Amino acid sequence: MNLRSLVWKELRERPWSVLSSSIAILLGVAALVAIRHVTVHSEQEVSRQLSSLGANILILPKDASLQNYYAADRNGQTLPEEHVTEVLMAGLAGVEKVTPKLSMPASLGGLEVTLTGILPQSEFTAQQAWQTAALFTPKKHDGCKKASHEPTAADMTPESLNTTRSIESLEKNQIVLGADVADRCAFSEGDTVELLGGTFTVLGTLTRTGTVDDSRVFAHLHTVQELAKSGEVVSAIEVIGCCEDAAGDLVPELSKLLPGARVVTVSQVVQTQVGVNRLMSGTSWFVLGILILVGGASLASAIAANVRERRREIGTLMAIGATPSFVQRLFLMKALVLGLVAGTIGCVIGLLTAVLIGPQWAGVSIVPLPGLAVMAVSAATLLAVLAAYWPARQAAKLDPCLCFQEV
Amino acid sequence: MIRLENVKRIYTRRGQTVTALQCEDLRISAGEYVAVVGPSGSGKSTLLSLLGGMLSPTSGRIWLDDTSVYEQSVISRSAIRRERMGFVFQTFNLIPYLTALENVQVPLALNNVSPVNQVGLATAMLQRFGLGDRLNHKPSEISVGQQQRVALARTLVNDPQIILADEPTGNLDPTSREVVLKAFDTCYDEGRTIITVTHDLTAAARAKRRLVLNDGQISEESFSRAKVA
Ligand SMILES: Nc1ncnc2c1ncn2[C@@H]1O[C@H](COP(=O)(O)OP(=O)(O)OP(=O)(O)O)[C@@H](O)[C@H]1O
Ligand SMILES: [Mg+2]
Repeated sequence: MNLRSLVWKELRERPWSVLSSSIAILLGVAALVAIRHVTVHSEQEVSRQLSSLGANILILPKDASLQNYYAADRNGQTLPEEHVTEVLMAGLAGVEKVTPKLSMPASLGGLEVTLTGILPQSEFTAQQAWQTAALFTPKKHDGCKKASHEPTAADMTPESLNTTRSIESLEKNQIVLGADVADRCAFSEGDTVELLGGTFTVLGTLTRTGTVDDSRVFAHLHTVQELAKSGEVVSAIEVIGCCEDAAGDLVPELSKLLPGARVVTVSQVVQTQVGVNRLMSGTSWFVLGILILVGGASLASAIAANVRERRREIGTLMAIGATPSFVQRLFLMKALVLGLVAGTIGCVIGLLTAVLIGPQWAGVSIVPLPGLAVMAVSAATLLAVLAAYWPARQAAKLDPCLCFQEV
Repeated sequence: MIRLENVKRIYTRRGQTVTALQCEDLRISAGEYVAVVGPSGSGKSTLLSLLGGMLSPTSGRIWLDDTSVYEQSVISRSAIRRERMGFVFQTFNLIPYLTALENVQVPLALNNVSPVNQVGLATAMLQRFGLGDRLNHKPSEISVGQQQRVALARTLVNDPQIILADEPTGNLDPTSREVVLKAFDTCYDEGRTIITVTHDLTAAARAKRRLVLNDGQISEESFSRAKVA
């Protein structure tokens, strides 16, 4: 028996009142941890997108909505495939690659997937329609700071769909699977797959990105057009510029060239995300404020009620020889345990929420941040102890003569 | 030895003052067994609180051997209670969420006795009161008489020199009352000082000296008169 076991045994006696007195702290920590996790990862994702895809430009149907760069081609509207030729023929400086895409919903092995048709780079030289454009050679824009993008060994593998959003070669009966699809359907390289009545061979599978690309099945553009009976249309055309500066300069030129389409850069797309992040960041500080106010106040009043309820017990302890500081520590320790437990449970709930809803809600996959978790739990504990300070002092000032009062 | 020197305790509530206790000179020697009787509101609990170092007198001094109790700090007075005194209450005041064993361990824990020794001493004391098979029961799970025996074990486990009891038999049936009075007899034989407040005249008759309180005034009562009463 000691101070700690006294606190612990009292807490164990009434677990529900314990929970209700610290539920505000628990929920506050959960919300804070979830929001901060999503924000931090979302910010990382934005800067990752900017550094790896900053040179990319999207050509979309005029009224396509734009929340997420990766999902931009999934809005159901289409553009004529003609635009690809127009872009190539215009011979704009700074254009390095042009990759048209057509996406449609499909189901594979019971899993909802997005079937995305993509035109492999090798087709550009072979296509009849682009005979004249075959003369097209990537031209760097004036003063380009980056070396032009020479195809490397990595560009020859399906993984290039993740890194540069293009693929060098893809046969009409081949598909590449996103990480989720590959995992859930247990397909691997070389397998044969039935999809929308066609038979395909798996060329490869992609590593996890945490984006909607994980649930995509990539196939040849013209195969998808046939399966969709859509004619020669695309959902989006990605233009890969030689560098970020080129991308900025290309937007007005492409807009002039294709007045019926919407032309945006990656940095424009991520602006939305940056805005969302800023809002979430603001929200998380607001939640922190509420957590401190509501959590602190509700715990302080719960401890004060507990002190009132235990007046005679406190008087008896003092009669037996407990010092006022012992009594004060009894309640501070109780608050510390409450803060620690509520903080820890809240932190776990917040983490689980972030990990589970992060990918759908913010399009980012979330890895727990131990530093943030430790900080949240310590902050909750500190808050609980501070909130209990005043009621604990009142307990220490109680009159030991209370021990002679009958109930 | 305990000595009250010109002690006066006045309560003030909403402008009204009540002299709860007034005493020019009261001496209780070590090893005495004293009963304090008197009507309700006469100041019996006030006297016990004053003796226990829990209620400062409005004026006067209370001596415990050579120490003027209320010239000590609150912390030293806690230590005096912890090391030298034991309390018995009418309503037992057991801690409801602790088992019998844990309740008896509390005074030992406050005196920094190691956990292993706490269990040993508390178990022995409970066994002495015939509660060896109730160690792990909570107060709500045992009878009223057993609760007072647990409370007695808690009082005595620290080997106190002075026992202060407020109506220790007030809530008990005759059998349980006898257990308490037997325990006090034993304490008397062991040389402890016992000061017990009681309405119960048979209980008072067991003491070796009786004090009568009336409106805060203390007077001695002779042995023979108590017997007549
Ligand atoms: N905290 C207090 N504030 C004001 N008056 C008090 C206080 N405590 C006791 N009194 C008054 O002091 C007087 C003595 O009270 P005390 O509790 O000592 O009596 P008692 O003899 O123990 O009575 P009982 O037999 O009912 O327990 C009473 O008149 C009581 O109303
Ligand atoms: Mg009383």
